[in-house]
Amino acid sequence: MKKKYCMVIDSSVCIDCKACMVSCKVQHNVPRGRWRNWIKHTEPDFSMGKHTFVHFQPGGCMQCDEPSCVYACPSGATFKDEETGIVHVNEDLCIGCGNCITACPYGARYRHPVKRVPDKCDFCSDRLSRGLLPACVDTCPTKARTFGDMNDPDSDVSRLLRDRETVRVVSKPVDTKPNMFYLAETMPADWPGSVEYPAAHQAMTGFVNPLVKIAVGISGLGVAAMFLKQLFTGDETSGNDKEEV
Amino acid sequence: MKPPGMTRRRFNMSDKMIHRHDKGSIFIHWFNAFCWIFLTLTGLGLISNERINPVGGWWPNLMRTIFGSGETLLTFHIYVGLTWAAVILIYILVRFRDSLGFLKEVFTLSPARDTVWMIKRNVQLTLGNKALKKMGMTTDIPPQGFYNAGQKVFAQLTVFAGLILVVTGIIMYLSTIILNNPTPAAWSRTIHYLMAGIGFAGMLVHIYMAAISRDERPAFKSMFSGMVPEDYAKHHHELWYKEVKDKS
Repeated sequence: MKKKYCMVIDSSVCIDCKACMVSCKVQHNVPRGRWRNWIKHTEPDFSMGKHTFVHFQPGGCMQCDEPSCVYACPSGATFKDEETGIVHVNEDLCIGCGNCITACPYGARYRHPVKRVPDKCDFCSDRLSRGLLPACVDTCPTKARTFGDMNDPDSDVSRLLRDRETVRVVSKPVDTKPNMFYLAETMPADWPGSVEYPAAHQAMTGFVNPLVKIAVGISGLGVAAMFLKQLFTGDETSGNDKEEV
Repeated sequence: MKPPGMTRRRFNMSDKMIHRHDKGSIFIHWFNAFCWIFLTLTGLGLISNERINPVGGWWPNLMRTIFGSGETLLTFHIYVGLTWAAVILIYILVRFRDSLGFLKEVFTLSPARDTVWMIKRNVQLTLGNKALKKMGMTTDIPPQGFYNAGQKVFAQLTVFAGLILVVTGIIMYLSTIILNNPTPAAWSRTIHYLMAGIGFAGMLVHIYMAAISRDERPAFKSMFSGMVPEDYAKHHHELWYKEVKDKS
């Protein structure tokens, strides 16, 4: 059966220790200043005195069901694996155009400064294949992150999704259908950007594609007309008339 | 194969033949043709996003099946493209004067004559002489030089599109190797696709004319033999024919 990996996060137990970020960085050799995952936080309101609080929210690539990064990639280098639901980057197919980085409303991708291709969370696919949990999940001291297969009814994530109420942090106005669920509620929720496709991509889909179709259509029609005319009007070709020139 | 009524207008085999293309031009034509077709087919296969590919997902899937994987497909596309550009460049350098002559020939349009030719010939070939008369035009077609106006426009398109395809292709090739800014690669792909698409639209007409059109059959044959019948030259490229006659 096809798997659909997801993450269910209890952000209320996150203590902002950033161990998930560090273990990810180590696991994937993420370059300086770049991160595959994150912990967001609310701004404390100190006017609340002793009730002042900060809420932490661990996150990463949401492996969306409507992945705007995949839609933004013409070459198919960024793709959603049908067998696992994980969004991957095929670095050998990628020409480094940066469309997917702009298109992701969560900022879950960065351009690798040396490889010059996008890099992102892939739920530690290499660890999964060895039967290990993703590094961030494995390392979390408060077990805020739960990882598993949604399609397996006995998995921890399925149980949590079934028994507990969950919310998702969604982008507006386009909901990319993220597969990262937060138990009960989470904050902050207003940080995702909008789904934006770069100008070059908009030009390709909105202008170049119709133009090419029209050009090829007209030329194809012309060829078809010439061919039919040649088939059915054998005698009346230009040859005779040209002799009048 | 040909209906009996046709023989009357067939070019007689005993016609005197005139030299039109030398071996170098014939080679570069077929090399160029092979590369354009190969690169168009593989290039269309590289747009594997079925939301963007104008024919959908089946074509990229077919190409990946033929080549084994997307990576192999891309590698072939890149290296055939680079080889094509390199061979054309070498050809231009080795035959510099001939190449300049070609460019001069195809970029010299005579607005009055060529506009009339373009309009009339297009109507004549698609709708016929009756339509031409209905539109209030006579059926005589302005005489043409070594290339007719349609061939010139197509040649201009291939030169222009070819140059841009090479430049944008190299930008995409180098993007992940040396470019720190992704924007040139993104625009290069859009422009590369535009040029290849327009080139393909022109190629359809060119291939029809060469391989299927009855009128231009001698031109097709001349791309192998280098020779055209005198009669054909006189009727299809009158100005060039006169030039050749004046010289001899």
